[in-house]
Amino acid sequence: MAAEVETTSEKTTGGALLRVSSDKIGRLMDLVGELSLSVSETINSPELADLDLMGFEAAAHRLSMIVREVQDAATELRLVPVGEVFRRLKRMIRELERETGKKIELVIKGDETAIDKLVADRLYDPLLHVVRNAADHGLEATTADRVAVGKSESGKITLAAAQVGSEVRIQVIDDGRGLNRDRILKKARERGLFGPEEEPENSAVWKVIFEPGFSTAEAVTTLSGRGVGMDVLNQTMKDLRGRIAVDSNPGEGTAVSLHIPVSLAFLDSILLRLGEKLFTVPVDDIQEIVKPGGSDTVSISADHDTEMLKLRGVFVPVCRLERFYRGMRQELKPLSQMVAIIFNTANGAIAVPVDEVLDRQQVVMKPLTGALSSVRASWGCALLPSGEVAIVLDCERLALESAR
Amino acid sequence: MTQPQAVETPTDLADLHGVDADSIDNMYLTFAVGEEFYAVAIAMVTEIVGMQRIMSVPDVPKYIKGVINLRGKVIPLLDVRLRFGMDERPNDDRTVVIVLEVDDAPVGLIVDRVSEVVDIPTDRIDRAGAFGGGNASSIVKGLGRIDERVAILIDVPVMLSNADLDLSKIKVD
Repeated sequence: MAAEVETTSEKTTGGALLRVSSDKIGRLMDLVGELSLSVSETINSPELADLDLMGFEAAAHRLSMIVREVQDAATELRLVPVGEVFRRLKRMIRELERETGKKIELVIKGDETAIDKLVADRLYDPLLHVVRNAADHGLEATTADRVAVGKSESGKITLAAAQVGSEVRIQVIDDGRGLNRDRILKKARERGLFGPEEEPENSAVWKVIFEPGFSTAEAVTTLSGRGVGMDVLNQTMKDLRGRIAVDSNPGEGTAVSLHIPVSLAFLDSILLRLGEKLFTVPVDDIQEIVKPGGSDTVSISADHDTEMLKLRGVFVPVCRLERFYRGMRQELKPLSQMVAIIFNTANGAIAVPVDEVLDRQQVVMKPLTGALSSVRASWGCALLPSGEVAIVLDCERLALESAR
Repeated sequence: MTQPQAVETPTDLADLHGVDADSIDNMYLTFAVGEEFYAVAIAMVTEIVGMQRIMSVPDVPKYIKGVINLRGKVIPLLDVRLRFGMDERPNDDRTVVIVLEVDDAPVGLIVDRVSEVVDIPTDRIDRAGAFGGGNASSIVKGLGRIDERVAILIDVPVMLSNADLDLSKIKVD
């Protein structure tokens, strides 16, 4: 399938394909990042500030445009069709058929969708677990069971990929039994994830199947049921800054969707300032940005001065970065003088107050290594076009760790 | 403790290479902090740059003053004075940053001034064990004799580790 992609691209570009080591591409990406920073440093140099330079302005504008195009082209170098991963899974389906004794038809859609090679390399294992689950638990146990409910003899598993904005959505859809709400809810209650009387919404119930060690399979087979696969999936999605969604209808099947950023190198983010420190968060993580009024906040002295922000009648816990991180300014500004960023996390919504929301920017992400590895609740640091450095907040871990 | 550089075991290298006065393994970059004279293995040093605009980051030890953006690389800066428990001092035109590569991660040391690159043969290095109580986590790797002066050789990975310089503990030991 990817061979098709390759031949078509060969026809359209007229050139042969080159095999290039990822180190070289990484080096090029680094250089392009440096180039773009140097250019913006030069153009925004304070020494030019008061000069009237008509010709320079035009040339500088053109230079910036070219640099942006070079950046895009460099990013594209690392993109590969997701079909490569799908093809490996296709081979696995034959094996699954043998092991389960079920007939499985695999449908592949959108295999030409482009994705960062680094992401593609890490997708196989987690996807394999989702596909295994679909084949083992999703599809009906026997052909007779399927025929009895009026379905075709062979079960269908669809692998679909599509680009949605700056994300790639990869779906594994089966046309089997669907998730069993009662069984999952029972198990979740046993584990204390829900109260005995609680009747959570379907989406909340489906989410618990991704809890560590959670498995409702009666028997542990070689295929699945050990609850380990989902942990691998969770960890990989966390590393790739992705998220998982599940949709299921009884009798009709289950769809597991993985949403992953197209490229790990650049991040579409909102820049925030708190005191003299800069933070940035992926745009998609932000639910909304609010300006709290004086009467919207409650401080609970009985619980270490926990602050709550009232948002359309619902109280959202406030997570102060000044308290969470070491080395921040000591005095806490009243919330009414700040801007609150609302994040919707797996642990519920949290409000993070900052002094200022600055800008929406494409930033280059760098890992936090060495002396910076102690920074908690962060994806890495971001190099801003201005040359400044901001910490990329991981709101999931922020919510988790600040709750402790 | 990981031993990222060959220079960590100078005795073995001396055996391998013979006594080679020009060997990079015996070369040290010396710098001054207050009245004291320190040295780091030159093999770790990538460059020396002037003081730049420091951007502060949260959640790091006090002696990490922040980060600088050096041609697209984010480099955390360790203030050697703060790390050694000395008084802070305003930067002047001789304050420099020594950029090192330690365990594949860059780090910059803020020092009062750099002086020179010197050759300190292994036989001129006195082990620091005598006063560190053989403490494996001592920041001081040894004392190098250079003519009339003494340079304190720093174990950079130990200096970067979060192990605090607990002088009281060393005395008890």
